[in-house]
Amino acid sequence: MKKFLNNRNAYVDEMLDGICEAHPDFYIRLGDSGRVLARKDSPVKGKVGIVTGGGSGHLPVFLGYVGRGLLDACAVGNVFAGPRVDDCLAAMNAANGGAGVLQLYGNYGGDKMNFDMAKEFAGSDGIEVSSVRVSDDVASAPPETREKRRGVAGLIYAYKIAGAKAEQRASLAEVTAVAEKVVKVCRSIGVALSPCVVPEVGVAPFEVAEGTIEFGMGIHGEPGIWKGAMKSADDVAAEMLDRLLAEISTSRGDRVSLIVNSLGATPLEELYILYRKIARMLRDKGVHPVMPLIGRFATSMEMTGASLTVLPLDPELESLLKAPAYSPFWSVQ
Amino acid sequence: MILDAATLRAALARWCARMKASAPELNRLDGQIGDGDLGATLEKCAANVEATFPHMQNDDLPQMLKRCSMACAKASGSSFGTLLSSAFLTASKSCAGRQTIDRHDLGRLLLEVESALAARGGASLGDKTVLDPIHAVATALCSASDGADLTALALDATTQTLDHFRNKPNQAGRARAFQAKSVGLDDPGMVAFKKMVESLGT
Repeated sequence: MKKFLNNRNAYVDEMLDGICEAHPDFYIRLGDSGRVLARKDSPVKGKVGIVTGGGSGHLPVFLGYVGRGLLDACAVGNVFAGPRVDDCLAAMNAANGGAGVLQLYGNYGGDKMNFDMAKEFAGSDGIEVSSVRVSDDVASAPPETREKRRGVAGLIYAYKIAGAKAEQRASLAEVTAVAEKVVKVCRSIGVALSPCVVPEVGVAPFEVAEGTIEFGMGIHGEPGIWKGAMKSADDVAAEMLDRLLAEISTSRGDRVSLIVNSLGATPLEELYILYRKIARMLRDKGVHPVMPLIGRFATSMEMTGASLTVLPLDPELESLLKAPAYSPFWSVQ
Repeated sequence: MILDAATLRAALARWCARMKASAPELNRLDGQIGDGDLGATLEKCAANVEATFPHMQNDDLPQMLKRCSMACAKASGSSFGTLLSSAFLTASKSCAGRQTIDRHDLGRLLLEVESALAARGGASLGDKTVLDPIHAVATALCSASDGADLTALALDATTQTLDHFRNKPNQAGRARAFQAKSVGLDDPGMVAFKKMVESLGT
């Protein structure tokens, strides 16, 4: 393992120290262990609060989407390990501006358990709470058991669109409904070329053999759809898009947004090589790409690889996607 | 009467000491089929519960159980800590308005805990999880004759459950990924439960 470390067990806390040093006017750190990050101006009175949380190792997911027009607070776990119930609850209290709180997070068993427990505590304190779990990874379960799928880069669309809706002072039911709408239509798939090392452990928790790729691998190394020899960028891009469009019916004139996301180590150059093919395939189908997001949006430490997310748009989703938003990690003007 | 605030407070002290002492063994057991943090999780839960002792002086039974639930919620993000937090909260709700509970109440309380944990964690009876000995003890308490030694009864039900499931595969949680490997091994959560029963009854 070759990483920039002082104390591997303090990896997450030292990262949070650095983020707060860099953006002292924007973030406030809460919770009895400092594992909650919230907007400094939270709670925003009269606005639905949106909270998320999950394991570290995926920046900008999760805490990087705490921002104006985005999320209000985030509970931060260790690398690839869920946040504590108490931190989920502290995030909800920080976000509660009196209009209710939406828990919006990835569909992982441990995170669900902890957010549900926090919801039970919050309910007894009289906070109105709803929950939406993002489950966009098509490789993690077949369409007929879609509710079992994991949440990956599709989280970004859910955060952005629900965040914009909350910014308009929509009700908790309306913000929840638009987040559910995103989850219903958004699809992602990832491809891993090399694994990553969990700093607390010091070794890669999974392997991707030299010269091979794992198509559909999850962001914690969960097994994918197939393993095999490396292919050309165009072939990989085509299979990613084809697998997503197998579940998204498109017609000429439709509009979609896309995330071509680096899982950590893959450079922007290669993301644009992938996007070149994806854009051409969409053009051939008469489908118009809107605001493509190309870069590091949801990573897995230093994993080499990429994911593709497709969000079919309607006028409401497009307008919320384009609404202004700001966080130190991402902004939409 | 078998349980009131004072007896619970004394039992919790024994429970905490036992959880801390058992941490290395439970970590090792969990490391064979999971991420090896069960002992550390329970050790942290116990330390957090102990830290609340000075605030428990005037608590009644439900308040004391809720305090334990909150203490476990601060322990870690690990699922067993969350399940323990959920168990204490369910117990607290089950005792609402009561200063004491008897053997039948305790049996019913454990059945409520069993269904709360099944809902929270998604496991079912027979999956070789902590739900199985909870169910066995609840059933034994509910059907015990008056004057029976409840600690011996609970311990016996737990031991029989461990024996029954030892050569079956785990069907839930992270251990499900190691189904074949889990045959012949005791479920670490069940072993932790046995240690809890032993400590509470002493």
